[in-house]
Amino acid sequence: MTPTDTPTSDTSPIDPAAAVRRPTGTAFTRALGVASLVGIVWLVLFGLFLSPNDASQKAGVRILYIHVPSAWLAYLAFIVTGVSSAAYLFKRTRSLTWDRIAGASAEVGVLFMGVALITGSLWGRISWGIFWTWDSRLTTTAFLFVTYIGYLAVRGLGGSHQQRARRSAIIALLAVLEVPLVHFSVKWWRPLHQQESVAEGKLSGLMLFSLFVGIVSFTLLYVWLVLHRQRVLAMEDSLDDQGLDQALAERRAEGAQV
Amino acid sequence: MDLSPREVVPTAQAKPRKRPWAAIAVLAVVLIGGSVLVVKFLTNAVDYYCNVDEVGVKDGCDVGRNIRIQGVVQKDTYAKGDSGGANFVIAYNGVSMPVSVGSEPSGIFQECIPVVVRGKVAGSGDDLVFEGDEVIVKHDNEYDAENQDRLAQSNAEASECSQKG
Repeated sequence: MTPTDTPTSDTSPIDPAAAVRRPTGTAFTRALGVASLVGIVWLVLFGLFLSPNDASQKAGVRILYIHVPSAWLAYLAFIVTGVSSAAYLFKRTRSLTWDRIAGASAEVGVLFMGVALITGSLWGRISWGIFWTWDSRLTTTAFLFVTYIGYLAVRGLGGSHQQRARRSAIIALLAVLEVPLVHFSVKWWRPLHQQESVAEGKLSGLMLFSLFVGIVSFTLLYVWLVLHRQRVLAMEDSLDDQGLDQALAERRAEGAQV
Repeated sequence: MDLSPREVVPTAQAKPRKRPWAAIAVLAVVLIGGSVLVVKFLTNAVDYYCNVDEVGVKDGCDVGRNIRIQGVVQKDTYAKGDSGGANFVIAYNGVSMPVSVGSEPSGIFQECIPVVVRGKVAGSGDDLVFEGDEVIVKHDNEYDAENQDRLAQSNAEASECSQKG
């Protein structure tokens, strides 16, 4: 995908209603959607039926197959937001498409982070005996979640597309620094949350494969969601531009009558 | 003649006359929520996190002070208390500590599992008891498929857990 400013540089008169009806899907996104759907069916199959119970956590371990991919995808989404924001701020690559990718990725990241927090809380109740504790991993994750909700709020503060892109890009570059803080919190503090399992080879067989299925299917879902959302944001910007064009045309018409 | 200023004027004002009250309200909630998270985390961190063998040895792990203590629940030490509580012994690096909690532990609590207990050490000399308010099971990062062979193996390991702590 080549970032361009198509919607805002498009000067042809387009009926706003027609713009709204323009589909966001392409053959590629349709194939991606089908692939992510198949992946999620596989995840349900392996996560709920084919993978074994854990020796100590029993069936409670099955939350792992949603919790861990959600958390990882949230990290990825926030990193993509950071990289896209940097691309926007860099003069040679400046394009509002980068800003829309950043916004779309942050929205999807917040969604995944929310899923990770909810499933983590449920898992905590099952294995630890509590829904929540002010543990370093839990607290930094909640802080990351709140930070990106703030980022999305800043995007909605108004102003021109360029003003929105510039101020949100700066916030995204600061916010992404929290990702390593969250990831390494289990090493820097004495946490209740467990250390890494996959990197240390503490997960194997069908349990590891089920987690792999979860990560692949959630990644496909993430790409599908971001592509569609980015296109919807482009349409919204386009409608805003057309609104301005219409106002200018009306103003000119008024001038012509005088 | 096309007088369109598209080439020189920045793109549209996004809904210029509409005040973004919703975004401002969300930002206010985010600032308050973020501050609460930081304060709760910092005030919680005031309670030192000590292993059993650090009680009375490491700074902050003093008798009578609110701390979080970590150890492995020892085999055949768990007993329900009179008023719905529980008593058991935890150990770490060969040092053990009796624990008394006011409510029954939940989660996957069992003997031979690592736990973190919040409370304070009471007593003196060799009669130290940890009076706990909350027991949290600390699951490690190892996952093993449940099957009969492993059950037999884990039962064998469990019988040795008293020496593990």
